[in-house]
Amino acid sequence: MAAEKKLSYEQARDELDEIVQSLESGSATLEESLALWERGEELAKICGQWLDGAKAKIAAARPVAKNESE
Amino acid sequence: MFETSSENPAPVRVVTEAIKDYLDRLGPIWIEGEISELNERSGGMAFMRLRDTSADMSLSVMCYKNVLATVQPLPANARVVIYAKPSWYTKSGTLTMSVKEIRQVGVGELLARLEELKSLLATEGLFSADQKVGLPRLPRKVGLICGRNTDAEKDVVENARRRWPAVEFEIREVAVQGSAAVVEVSAALRELEANIEVDVIIITRGGGSFEDLLPFSDESLVRLAASCATPIVSAIGHEKDSPLLDLVADYRASTPTDAAKKVVPDIAQEIADIELLRNRILRRLESSLDYQSAQIAQLISRPVMKDPMVIVTTRFEATQSYRQRAALAFAGILDREKRELKQVRAHLRSLSPQSTLDRGYSVVQLDGGEILRDAAAVAVGTHIQIRLAKGQIGAVTEKSSRAAAAKPDNTEK
Repeated sequence: MAAEKKLSYEQARDELDEIVQSLESGSATLEESLALWERGEELAKICGQWLDGAKAKIAAARPVAKNESE
Repeated sequence: MFETSSENPAPVRVVTEAIKDYLDRLGPIWIEGEISELNERSGGMAFMRLRDTSADMSLSVMCYKNVLATVQPLPANARVVIYAKPSWYTKSGTLTMSVKEIRQVGVGELLARLEELKSLLATEGLFSADQKVGLPRLPRKVGLICGRNTDAEKDVVENARRRWPAVEFEIREVAVQGSAAVVEVSAALRELEANIEVDVIIITRGGGSFEDLLPFSDESLVRLAASCATPIVSAIGHEKDSPLLDLVADYRASTPTDAAKKVVPDIAQEIADIELLRNRILRRLESSLDYQSAQIAQLISRPVMKDPMVIVTTRFEATQSYRQRAALAFAGILDREKRELKQVRAHLRSLSPQSTLDRGYSVVQLDGGEILRDAAAVAVGTHIQIRLAKGQIGAVTEKSSRAAAAKPDNTEK
């Protein structure tokens, strides 16, 4: 996971997109599909961490203006 | 000139007579200046000091009261033109200009001269827009040239502080009217221009008479202001007054308060603006985050990611169908084989010797199972087996005859 931290949000998102597409095409072997799915889960988690972190920072920057966020 | 030396000096009387002789040969001349002092003695004479309007220089002038009476009453700092002759008083060795004629310079004439100067400076390009420099957004120091303890000074300082409490001033209190004004304002301007911390200079003065404001149209001051690299804000007199300084200033303020507004930003407004910008940034960030979140959510919610079991189930279904097909195929094969077995069994039964045995025939075999067909093939006393329709008998041969023994022997059907 430490190495994955270096992945930027865009890299993770693009890779996730590719993985979903190749899973949907169904051309991969079962073994490959499982590996792809696991990788996809991992990437989705990384993307989520990036986005949650960014949201937390913004929320911290504007403690007052809560009216229209969320 | 005299030939003099330390051994052969000229006496005072010779020198002073010579000066008088020289000056007497000069004719009277026309001189313009401001009357800064007027001293009417009890006798028929008046003494006055005539100052230059731009430089710190003056002449002592002597005038007969009857000549002076032609222009009286004179306002303070009156601008006059005199026709005077320089005279030398040998008794004390002093030079005086004795006035033969005096005229006050009228407003109309001053205005005409101002117009002339204005068009001259305009043709030189001193008023053109490309000469103007922008005012700093937030100056390190504000230079302020104003009169001593004037409302103009207070207005500038108070209004600037209200807008930007941390504003720093370099204030030069100088004469802002009268003959000293041009000299003092110019000196202050030079000093503030030289101060690198002063990022903008305000020259201000409250309202006054046309003559009071004349120093701010002085050619030397206007040229000096035009040459300054530091931005200059002029706030002279009221809106209707327009001294030439206004035209070379980088910004012409209508009032001292207006000048204060121009040189420093309003801190409340700045804070509000920054807050506005900050909110815009945050809103922008939030909306792009929302968009990204939606994208990720959309990717994760695709069937392959949301229910990864499909990876297995699709393949499981495939295997199931193979199994079914295999089972079906196998059952078919089994059926076919069963049917074939039945046929073979029936056929086998049809070939069985049982029916022959049922009809009374027997089969004779040696102990090894070999079927006897020829009586000659067995010696006497050989053990034989006789198979009947039901059961079998063990026996021993007693005799044999090839022909006779052939009868009860084996038969084939």
